[in-house]
Amino acid sequence: MNRQLHAEFLKLRTTRTAIGLAGLAVAVTALIATLESATAGTRQAMAIPSLATSAGLRDALASTGFALIAAAVLGTMITSGEFRHKTATGTYLDQPGRGRVLAAKAIAAAVAGALLGLAAAATATAIGLGFAVARGYPLTLPAATIARYGAGATIGAGLLAAAGAGAGSLIRHQAAVIIAVFAWAFAVELIVGGTATAVAPYLPYTAAAMMAGVTSGGGMPPIPSAVIPLAPPGGAGVLAGAAVLLAAVAAATTVRRDIT
Amino acid sequence: MAAIEARQLSKRFGAVTAVDGLSFQVAAGTVTGFLGANGAGKTTTLRMLLGLVRPDSGQAVIWGQRYAGLGERRRKVGAVLEASGLHPGRTVRDHLRVRCAAAGIARPRIDAVLGATGLGGLAGRRAGSLSLGERQRLGLAAALLGDPEVLILDEPGNGLDPAGVAWLRGLLRGLAGEGRTVLVSSHLLAEVAQTSSQVIVIDRGRLIFSGPVSQLTAATGQAVVVRTPRAAELSAALAASGAAVRELAGDRLEITGAGTEQAATLAAARGLPVFEISEQAASLEDAFLTLTATQGRPG
Repeated sequence: MNRQLHAEFLKLRTTRTAIGLAGLAVAVTALIATLESATAGTRQAMAIPSLATSAGLRDALASTGFALIAAAVLGTMITSGEFRHKTATGTYLDQPGRGRVLAAKAIAAAVAGALLGLAAAATATAIGLGFAVARGYPLTLPAATIARYGAGATIGAGLLAAAGAGAGSLIRHQAAVIIAVFAWAFAVELIVGGTATAVAPYLPYTAAAMMAGVTSGGGMPPIPSAVIPLAPPGGAGVLAGAAVLLAAVAAATTVRRDIT
Repeated sequence: MAAIEARQLSKRFGAVTAVDGLSFQVAAGTVTGFLGANGAGKTTTLRMLLGLVRPDSGQAVIWGQRYAGLGERRRKVGAVLEASGLHPGRTVRDHLRVRCAAAGIARPRIDAVLGATGLGGLAGRRAGSLSLGERQRLGLAAALLGDPEVLILDEPGNGLDPAGVAWLRGLLRGLAGEGRTVLVSSHLLAEVAQTSSQVIVIDRGRLIFSGPVSQLTAATGQAVVVRTPRAAELSAALAASGAAVRELAGDRLEITGAGTEQAATLAAARGLPVFEISEQAASLEDAFLTLTATQGRPG
């Protein structure tokens, strides 16, 4: 397992995919945090409340919605990329234990996703706090809350990436699985979350977003205000459960398929 | 113990039977050609040997064990299955680093295999910029990382230019000289004839020959080639005597079923001038085509 993990981390470090996606996530997060902070309290359409309020500062610091989805996409690319580039043959020659390969990929995805989430959270926090301080506002959120949002984005992104790795094993076609991730986040969670608010906290993206403090969207559709967030351990449990479920279904079906 | 053994292997993909009760053995220390027409089941068989395709029935073993059960398997078995199995954004050296990490092979082997495959100057190039021949070499380099006792190669000559084919020939001979076991599928029958001592021929998933190359070519028989300006007359005389005659370009006849003495005697008896008469051993290509045609499939 250690060898496979080492190989998976090396795969991530030796191509531009992970760093490129992380760079995109940070850039989009920075753009959204800057726009939200700059327009905060202006009462323009889509503007967040003033950074002098706890709600406004939270929305600015939690501009990580897109980064969470980017982490899930990264996870899908880690597994589906093996079939897109036909490298699965070499991978399974080196390690015929396909369950072990999937587990190593899920762990590598979780670590890479968490780093991506951490970078995005750090960017949004720096920008949001920078605007608030520059305008001379008092910090209306305690440091522990700010840290919790950052930790939520980090852990949420990591677990969404692990779930993405399972999804990429289940749907091996890379373009198809990336479309499926966006369709899930933009359509399924939006529709189900909007109509059944009691179920919404148990949906993976919503659970991750609420761990990160995302309510205004942060590049994604806003979370309906009626949705009551789970406690952070509950949100992490939902995400971990989704990752394990997807991996288990993949391990029982597509992962066993012949490599032709 | 045979280094590689297939025991009653069968595999179907939907309605298509790819491999049908195939059994063969590859003796340790031999280079064995694995031949068959397109769709004969060669690649499926090799993938079953390596645990990538699950047989419907039968067993495929290396050193008596399934591939997945081999300890330190990459030090025992190296394989080249497809030249396209590379991430285009990863450099040649990084590709080999990943394979080393996954197989637990020490990194110094990377420079050794880069040198052995002539890729030393391309170590920093991204795989996406490599030619097909260079990709084949990289596949061979990865297969050699573990310094394996057994090599399983699927069409390793695909995409190689003439110099590359000559290099591959030298590499396979070198590996054979070191006592390694090599099972190589190829469409380059002349190359197989030059590098392999044994040959396995399959057709529609079934074994149709397994044995020494010399036995296969001998079974196909020898032909006699005669050059005469009165080819039509000699052809008729030979045909009347029961030989099979095929007219070749340049007033030449290819005769099977009659030796040089019989052909020369017939020509002399009819006063037909003969400028050239010689025996031609059947090539592996002739033997392969004859064998597969006999089995009902056009070459």
